[in-house]
Amino acid sequence: MTLRQGRFVAGAVLAVACVAWPLRGLLEAGMATHMLIQFPLLMIAGALLWEPFADGAESRWNRLGIAGLAFAAGMLAVAMIPRLLDLALVDARVEAAKSIALLATGAALRASWSRAGLVVQGFFLGNVLPMTAVVGTLYRDAPVRLCNGYRLDEQELAGTLLVALAIGAAIAWLVDAGVRMHRAEIALRSACPPASRPARHDACDPPREERPWPEDASTTTLPRP
Amino acid sequence: MFRTAFAGILSVVLAWAAAAWLTHDFRVFTAEGARRLEVRDAPVATPSIEVVGPGVEAAALSSLLRASDGAATIVDFVYTRCVSVCAALGSGFQQLQARIAADDAPGAPPVRLLSVSFDPARDDVAALARYARELRADPHIWRFVTVRDTAELDELLRAFRVVVIPDGFAGYEHNAALLVTDANARLVRVFDYDELDEALHFARTLAAVSMQ
Repeated sequence: MTLRQGRFVAGAVLAVACVAWPLRGLLEAGMATHMLIQFPLLMIAGALLWEPFADGAESRWNRLGIAGLAFAAGMLAVAMIPRLLDLALVDARVEAAKSIALLATGAALRASWSRAGLVVQGFFLGNVLPMTAVVGTLYRDAPVRLCNGYRLDEQELAGTLLVALAIGAAIAWLVDAGVRMHRAEIALRSACPPASRPARHDACDPPREERPWPEDASTTTLPRP
Repeated sequence: MFRTAFAGILSVVLAWAAAAWLTHDFRVFTAEGARRLEVRDAPVATPSIEVVGPGVEAAALSSLLRASDGAATIVDFVYTRCVSVCAALGSGFQQLQARIAADDAPGAPPVRLLSVSFDPARDDVAALARYARELRADPHIWRFVTVRDTAELDELLRAFRVVVIPDGFAGYEHNAALLVTDANARLVRVFDYDELDEALHFARTLAAVSMQ
């Protein structure tokens, strides 16, 4: 069994574990564990399930990961509607639809994230993270219960954690993007060793203001040198 | 790129459709909002499960709510040990009782009150009678019942979409509301528990219509 097949199996096991007895009851017992542990676990499972298909040529249906990230953004928006949490507790069809949608979201992120450049990633996160923070603030500050199945204190905790997640993800991505751009710049410089860099401008070292932005950093983050 | 754009737009439409279904065309975002909207659009028949209470010999809940005089009933779900939201419901029902009694002219559209306990293990007939005394309930206006057979409780809660969860302090948290039933024992409208005026006005109108 190759590593990829192993990951696929792990994804399948994780997906089933998340929605089957006994883990489902534990994960869905609290609002925060439902939204912030079960949802991400299902997305991780979906990403693992996508592993065997991950390295194919870039699909014409998903250039720069745009379609996949649009799908993920849409599904994550739906996943934050409070009624979904309540229905998933009592309606097996909604629970199934929720699980499949989150698995697909994880797979879409796996298939799209590395193909998306910093610009597309930034656009995706620029939509999803503020939405997460706003929803989190609403959950935290709402004076009434938004889910019949969960207590008010659970709702406040889930809201606070959603805000923290949004802020943490934004910082993590900004740091990552900074590191990538820095590396890309170093890679471009080291391609032109100083010895071969005479005072006159040549193709390898155009004047700084004319130097094009490293393609690698602006459009794609993989493959990295 | 056209295929990518197509797939992207398809994804957005799919998410939009899912959200529209989940929110009843973006009118409600919570299960409680959906419950109120759905009851309003399609009244719910009261299940004919047996209830008992002080002054109420084992009777089907549906026949208890069915009224030959056209009376509408405002129903709430409580448990007598509750100190939070049902306490608010209790005082709300006291206010409603006072106003119903004040307006009780002959020929006025009759409105009655019914409190249903979802904790039959603790709230037996004696406990309900004590609770009714504490709240100074007038048995002609305000009655108290619980299910006779605990196994039937779930059916009742499911029908009226009452969700009861443990509150972590040996009590319960529940989606407290004012449920208005008509003279045919159908649940026709759900009001927030602080919408006393709206619920009473609606119940009166309902009773007036069914008297005609």
